[in-house]
Amino acid sequence: MDFLTGMRVSASGMTAQRMRMNTISSNIANINTTQTPEGGAYRRKDVVFEAMPDGASFGDVLISAPQRDIARVQVTDVISDRKAPLLKYEPDHPDANPEGYVAYPNINLMEEMANQITATRAYEANVAAMNSTKDMAMTALEIGR
Amino acid sequence: MADLLDKTTRALAASADLRSLRQNVVSANIANAETPGYSAKKLDFEEALGRALELEGVGDMKTSDVRHFMGGAGSMANVKADTYDNPDASINNDGNTVDMEKEMSTLAENSLLYKAAIQLINKKLAALKYAAGEGNR
Repeated sequence: MDFLTGMRVSASGMTAQRMRMNTISSNIANINTTQTPEGGAYRRKDVVFEAMPDGASFGDVLISAPQRDIARVQVTDVISDRKAPLLKYEPDHPDANPEGYVAYPNINLMEEMANQITATRAYEANVAAMNSTKDMAMTALEIGR
Repeated sequence: MADLLDKTTRALAASADLRSLRQNVVSANIANAETPGYSAKKLDFEEALGRALELEGVGDMKTSDVRHFMGGAGSMANVKADTYDNPDASINNDGNTVDMEKEMSTLAENSLLYKAAIQLINKKLAALKYAAGEGNR
């Protein structure tokens, strides 16, 4: 009988989706960025989600199987897209190469917007799950009243 | 204390306990709805609980020490529920088998039935209270 596990798992989902939202925002904001600290045009960022069994201490290994199957989600990495940049002919641009082409980030705005909607919906699903768990915990407090 | 709470109340308590576990399993599925390669988990206990309800008290052996092995068919309090990878789930391109609609409906159903179990426990307790108060005399 622990509702805290469920709430912790839902919270991990919210954190992960918020982080994904942040990278999407970063991609949209930098759709025309040609200069970055690491040099060259901005590269599209994406998050890597990984399922982590909730609780990893020695004591947790000994608990029952269903408990072990409950997994949090975690952002383990933020990767940069390896797609080649888009080249546009702009000879007057300060970042133009000797041939007059400027490298722009290869970001598809439609794709980013679609991902943004998915992230929002996934976040909302986690909020719904958290609220439902909270409701159940509140009902349990009413026993014997 | 065991005599104060009848079989129904204990069954309701066991069901509420297992439902809280299912809530955690469903929450984990929802949290991992976008995790590549994650397979949705499912928790079944209705059948095991139903069996325990039927068999409770059958062939029970009295023990004189808590360290003794339990005899008989066992009780509802230690019904074991097991999680397994949900077999009837569609697989996405990334190997994820979480079906969001299914998970959300399971979530709503589970929460509703949990609350129903708690409400029934409360009714049982209210009846006890009423009796203890000699019918609110």
